[in-house]
Amino acid sequence: MVNHKIISLVLLGVLVAGLLAINNFGQVVTGQTDTGGGEIVGTLESVVCCEKTNSGMFCQDVPASDCASDRQPPTSCDETRFCKVGWCFDSKEGTCLNSPQITCDEDGGTWTENKPAVCELGCCTLDDQASFVSLTRCKALSGYAGIETNWDPSITDEVQCILAAGSKEKGACVYDEDFTRTCKFTTRENCNENVLGGGVLGTQEQDLTGTGEGTPDLLPNADGGAQPSADTDTDTTDGTDTGTTAVAFLPVVSAQDSGERPLPAGCQVSAQGVFFCPGKLCTAEELETNCAQTRNTICKDGKEEVYYVDTCGNPANIYDSNKVNDDAYWANIVNKEDSCGAGTSNENSQSCGNCNYLQGSYCREASEIQPVYGDNICQSLNCVGSDGRGRLHGESWCVYDGGSNGAPGSRAYRQLCVNGEVRVEACADFRQEKCIEDSSGGISQAACRVNRWQDCTAQSEQPECENSDKRDCKWLEGIENIFLGSILNGTSVDTNSLGGIRERAQQQGGLDSLPTGGCVPEIPPGLDFESDESVGICAQANAVCPVTFKKGLLSDWECSEHCECLPGGEAEQQRINLCTSVADCGPKTNFVGQRGSGPGYETTQDELENDK
Amino acid sequence: MNLQKDYKENFSLREMRKEGQTTIFVVIAIVIVVAGILVYLFVPGVKSVFRGDISPNSFIRDCVENEVASGIEFLAKQGGYADPEGFVLYKGNKVKYLCYNAQYFLPCKVQQPLIKRHFERELEQLIEAKADSCVQELRADYESQGFSVTGVQDSSVNVEIIPGSVRIVVDAPMTISNNEQTQRFRSFDISFESEIYDLLLIATSIVDFESTYGDTTTDLYYAFYPNLVIEKEKKTDGTTIYGVEDVTTGEKFVFASRSLAWPGGYGLSG
Repeated sequence: MVNHKIISLVLLGVLVAGLLAINNFGQVVTGQTDTGGGEIVGTLESVVCCEKTNSGMFCQDVPASDCASDRQPPTSCDETRFCKVGWCFDSKEGTCLNSPQITCDEDGGTWTENKPAVCELGCCTLDDQASFVSLTRCKALSGYAGIETNWDPSITDEVQCILAAGSKEKGACVYDEDFTRTCKFTTRENCNENVLGGGVLGTQEQDLTGTGEGTPDLLPNADGGAQPSADTDTDTTDGTDTGTTAVAFLPVVSAQDSGERPLPAGCQVSAQGVFFCPGKLCTAEELETNCAQTRNTICKDGKEEVYYVDTCGNPANIYDSNKVNDDAYWANIVNKEDSCGAGTSNENSQSCGNCNYLQGSYCREASEIQPVYGDNICQSLNCVGSDGRGRLHGESWCVYDGGSNGAPGSRAYRQLCVNGEVRVEACADFRQEKCIEDSSGGISQAACRVNRWQDCTAQSEQPECENSDKRDCKWLEGIENIFLGSILNGTSVDTNSLGGIRERAQQQGGLDSLPTGGCVPEIPPGLDFESDESVGICAQANAVCPVTFKKGLLSDWECSEHCECLPGGEAEQQRINLCTSVADCGPKTNFVGQRGSGPGYETTQDELENDK
Repeated sequence: MNLQKDYKENFSLREMRKEGQTTIFVVIAIVIVVAGILVYLFVPGVKSVFRGDISPNSFIRDCVENEVASGIEFLAKQGGYADPEGFVLYKGNKVKYLCYNAQYFLPCKVQQPLIKRHFERELEQLIEAKADSCVQELRADYESQGFSVTGVQDSSVNVEIIPGSVRIVVDAPMTISNNEQTQRFRSFDISFESEIYDLLLIATSIVDFESTYGDTTTDLYYAFYPNLVIEKEKKTDGTTIYGVEDVTTGEKFVFASRSLAWPGGYGLSG
């Protein structure tokens, strides 16, 4: 008979997930920024709707102690009259913005709870360009551009609006000015009796001093308004004063003169003394205008290409040094597709100004490389990334601090190539956002997107855990990876200890009713190291593992059950892996390569039973 | 000998004719110069043009130009506010939050929906004192030239930001007279080239996005504004600092937003 003394020792192995070297992380994120006054409110604090906070913010749901104004009802701001978000209309610019009533009223906006009719959008045509805006905004834009308002509410789609503008017929608008036949290159719609005045905004300049400046009134009519200085207010549709200044259009052409010259072939009379020649340039010889060819070029607003310019200031065809003296090229409009270097970017080309914005070139004043003629060139907007790879203008891609493994202090970045420079946009700190990237036709596009890690540890089944429509989690297979701790009470340990799971599973006849692993964030989030909550989040990975030791008559104490849970054993390593996968927990190295100051976890041992 | 004599006579005749021509030219030149001086001295208008000292718009423009330029630059660095409440310190500047939410997980609430209008008012206040002193300098300048200046009391400034320029109207009614003429001015209208209009309207659009969706993707703007660069810097506390820049002029408008801020962890303990 062998007399056995059975002693059950229990190893209480609590892996306390510690925060790593937190002081080191702070140094990196501060940068050159320092916060001023803004209050920040956690989710569990009780708040009031504060009209104005101590730091000067309007309509914030903050604790009463942060509120400076008397108006602070104990409710959400959305439920109050003065802070309710509605539509703020700027009657001068025609813009509409979602805004609380009080901030709208303060600077003279017009606030309404529901969207007003003046905020309805339509297609505003501005010469050969278009903008999908409200009528008031269209009037403002047209006024600034000096053209008639052309707003079409029947076009309800921005793309259609842009297409409609692109199809405008252009050509030479010929008229007489000071007994000289001159020309303006414009659309058919804008070739009318107003072509000379052009609706140009500005003050009527008269000056007795002979300098041509100032807005004096002439005596004896100068009684403060008898002689207008062109301050003529215009009214918007809602009757509000825009305060803009307008000038009456000047007469364009004398009637007798317009009838003296024959109409050039292909031209049509568009107004008295004004005729429009579609497809023609102002330098066409048959038009007999005073606009002549030059060797100069211009960059047009809203246009990517470099254009020749005539002596009247009108743009001609796309700059092509080989056609500087080609009369035909100066007579008829040549499409972009038929111009030099079509389909390519022509970046830094000295001879061709057919720039292509989508391919990374745009008309700019020349600096390093000079064109054969003129001062403008198709400047390259493309970049070379830090990896030496060429990037197109507008291309973006993801970059991570210390790889994408979620090292403490790290975050994701989106880099993008803009105007020849690589710019960096950080995604949200604490890895609350991740960077996603996709490529199409060799061009990559990246974006910061919310990291949906929050409910990972609550998932007990692999399919639900890895449902990418709902969350950004991954599954760690093995019952060693089951979460046993509690989030809300980080110091407690679930009664289902790691060792107990196996036994319970055996008693129940298998593992079907139990989770077979743990669900953790794909990218572990960062934690606010000053927050108590961090301890709770990490404590989810805590575990208890009872170990049984036996001692025979002739032998020493030996581990007989759950020996993997002994310090330095397999279970400890698995729990450490689980711990570091949850968040900024456990033994980790931060993104600048520094290890945490402590071990990052703790194992404690206690004797549960001693059955001697 | 005869030939030699003829030559001498011809030579001296030619020389005499040359000297006579020179004399005539010199006399004509003297007459022109004297006439010019007389005209300059006794015709007031010409005197003014030459000296360029009765050019009120140019005078006011030159006088306020630096103030306007520095005012625009200063305001543009601080979200359009000279002394903002509700700001974040960034590179030594108080950058105004144009949209803010103190709470986590929620889009911001617009703090300034009329950004352009407010910028105009702030700029007016910044340059008002200088404009007034410029008007007084103009008055003193006129008076030093013997003009009588009446009607200058308090001047006021109106700023209008329009595409491509900033228009400043200094309302300073004044009547300037001497024995020969009287001039009456109601206001001085001056313009400075600037792309700040576009930058302010783009900032308005970004604020709209921030308040509606919680964030803005800058790619949208690059598609429509080739001369634009938007810097976007996200801070740990959820603040985003935007810098909207026109690469052709170098003008830049900086403002802050705190929208859809994320705490570390779940943000339960504030």
